[in-house]
Amino acid sequence: MSARIRGALPSFLIFVGVLLVWEFGLAALNVQSFVLPRPTVILAALVDQADLLARATLYTGSEVVGGLLVGCGLGVLAAFAAARWRTVREGFLPMGVAASSIPILALAPLTNIWFTAESATSRMAIVAVLTFFPMMVNTVRGLTQVDPAALELMTACAASEGQILRKLRIPNALPYMFTGLKVATTLAVIGAVVGEYFGGPLAALGVYIQSEAYNFRYNHAWAAILIACAMGIGFYVLAILAERVVLPWHASERRAEGAQLGH
Amino acid sequence: MNAVVELVGSSKTFGAGRAATVALQGIDLSIGVGEFVSLIGPSGCGKSTLLRLIGDLIPATSGEVRVNGKPAAQARRGREYGIVFQAPVLMDWRTVDRNVELPLEISGVPRAERRARAAAMLKLVELADFGGRYPWQLSGGMQQRVAIARALATDPALLLMDEPFGALDEMTRERLNLELMRIWRSTGTTVVFVTHSIPEAVFLSGRVVVMSARPGRVTRVVDIDLPQPRTAETRNQERYFELVTTVRAALRAGGADAAAAEAEGLGTEPADAERIVAEGLA
Amino acid sequence: MPGLAVGADEGGHSRAVRMALVAAVLVAVVLIWEGAKWLGGDPWRLHNTLFGIRIDYEHTPPFHWPIASDIALPHIWVILAAFVLPYQRFGDPAWLVLLEAALYTFREALVGFVLGALLGLGLGIVFVRSRLLERAFMPYVVASQAVPLITIAPIIVIFFGNAWTSVALISAYLTFFPVTVSALRGLRAADPRAFEYFRSTAASERQMLTKLRLPAAVPYLFVAFRISAAAAVVGAIIGELPNGLQQGVGGLILQSSQYYVTGPERLWATVIAAALLGLACVGAVALAERLLTRGRYRTVSA
Repeated sequence: MSARIRGALPSFLIFVGVLLVWEFGLAALNVQSFVLPRPTVILAALVDQADLLARATLYTGSEVVGGLLVGCGLGVLAAFAAARWRTVREGFLPMGVAASSIPILALAPLTNIWFTAESATSRMAIVAVLTFFPMMVNTVRGLTQVDPAALELMTACAASEGQILRKLRIPNALPYMFTGLKVATTLAVIGAVVGEYFGGPLAALGVYIQSEAYNFRYNHAWAAILIACAMGIGFYVLAILAERVVLPWHASERRAEGAQLGH
Repeated sequence: MNAVVELVGSSKTFGAGRAATVALQGIDLSIGVGEFVSLIGPSGCGKSTLLRLIGDLIPATSGEVRVNGKPAAQARRGREYGIVFQAPVLMDWRTVDRNVELPLEISGVPRAERRARAAAMLKLVELADFGGRYPWQLSGGMQQRVAIARALATDPALLLMDEPFGALDEMTRERLNLELMRIWRSTGTTVVFVTHSIPEAVFLSGRVVVMSARPGRVTRVVDIDLPQPRTAETRNQERYFELVTTVRAALRAGGADAAAAEAEGLGTEPADAERIVAEGLA
Repeated sequence: MPGLAVGADEGGHSRAVRMALVAAVLVAVVLIWEGAKWLGGDPWRLHNTLFGIRIDYEHTPPFHWPIASDIALPHIWVILAAFVLPYQRFGDPAWLVLLEAALYTFREALVGFVLGALLGLGLGIVFVRSRLLERAFMPYVVASQAVPLITIAPIIVIFFGNAWTSVALISAYLTFFPVTVSALRGLRAADPRAFEYFRSTAASERQMLTKLRLPAAVPYLFVAFRISAAAAVVGAIIGELPNGLQQGVGGLILQSSQYYVTGPERLWATVIAAALLGLACVGAVALAERLLTRGRYRTVSA
């Protein structure tokens, strides 16, 4: 445990150092504190605007969760179809790869028109499209990149297709699916907040950030940015915790439990 | 003689047309109940392919392969053999005892019986205390013993082993050889064992089938008349060294091919294995 | 055993068949699109004279779905036609306007990409040399993957005033993280025995870097470059939004979405242009990778 603390010490010191320089140093250097307010000022804004920010957080958070559920759910379904039928896979996987090179956020104005900008459904749709592809691609990988020897073993046991799926492919895919989920959580928060830059109710983090920055109330904008960052990390950490619970055998656990036994 | 494994004129060709490679040609082999038979030969002689024909993991191109008097495919569907690969191929997400239970689960054995059977098998391979561990918590040798326990869990009439100790260090290998002998005596299972270690083949087997490459075929079958049970003492017997020499000479007799094979395809083994797997699954 | 060999895609269909499958998916999308419009879109009428034959056809869809209306979902041929029609009244044809905008955004993304890649590689080299610096800064590099820092785009734009610079910076910001992570992995990816060999020859740190670490890192870097190329384009487009840069694709998206009702197909055309820009950038990196590393490396995963 003490080794762990020592390992984290340098980065913790950096954190404190940056905060101190930010708080006291910037004023001394005469940097535009207007655009980059001191941490205490941002915290004050956070308290001051607590009501509105809480509503905005709930609103944007609901977009993230809703979009994640739809996008990841559909992604997993599509992945099972793609893993089962080579024809489906060869038709759809190139789409998944192409989708990762496309600025999907540019679709935000379109979903605003379909679902109206005031509706959370609009951002949920963007988040769903953003998260669908990494989830699908990773799940397909997990379902198909199975140790060939394990497949031989299953064949030797005369296992049925269903048994191979349940006892080999799905457990094999779970770590990949969590990788997809972790990527998806990050994208989801970005998708919801940036999607709101194209319109939405004022009590939404993205709309709030943009309108406060536009009106030179940078302390307010920063407070909302802080929340958005916390939300991103929060969902990411949730995904990691879920992974630990679901995958007790997984590599990230091995380090914690120590070295393997000798003979 | 009551044959567990019977091959009559079995051949295997990979690919077609000009790209075709004859992996095995005209194999005749009969293995009786309770026998321990090793297949030995240079890289690319098709010994692993032969094992996969017996296990119906790949189909023979021509000829007949029978296991327990039935066509190999029928025997596989009847789950009449167990198999151990060079890698343990344990499922990371299953504890050791649940790994051993896997073939029983697939055959639909009730849970209580599965548990009892897995416990008995782990006791047989002397890992009774490790049932609750995950595979990564075990050493390589222990993992391979779990794989053996899994292969024996269904109490099969036939055990197929594909270089099961090839990836282990010499000391572990010798110890596991002794242990395998003890298990074989106590279960009475027929074993077909692929290896490229001459001492291992001689120490374990009742018969050593010597193969040569391009095309893969059986060049000689050496009877190993060492007394049973085989113990650590066996390795010190004069007769043991004579038989090692005999097998080595038999391998060298098919040597013209072997040397050519080696010169032609340095390190072809993994590629071969991959191809075998790919073909087997296609 | 059909269906078992899903792992071995090399044994899959031929290239031509796979291309045909991708094309089939595209055709299916078009069919669903136009099918939805046929069933629930706006009524339309074909009234024309072709080769002297008078055509007069009227179609009234049986349902009325708002999402399939001409405003929400223009006909595909209308979108395609929008590329050749003027983007603004009496202006240049849309494809020319969009091409110019794409080149403008491309330049921003390129500057951002180069800056970000250099920074990422530099950080990777520094971290490989110094465990202390790595321990101090790496947690932030990792955490930043989870932080939607792109949300500060509006503030960066105002802070730097010069719109073009700020857009390139946002682009660089999105580029450098994947490169740092991959560089660090790649610079350590060489065979440990190769490191021992270099040590046995008393090679200097610099020689170890240029002759072992960097060459070994190349495939990892290209994996990152592909991710970063897409991210750089996204960064450039997002960066253009809050500062009203009208010359770029992002600005055009904003502009055409504001005038959506007067020409929905323009927004669609612009979004398609943005997609093509992203594909082209990633494709260029993939092409460079193939030309530079062909046959020399085995593939690594992201």
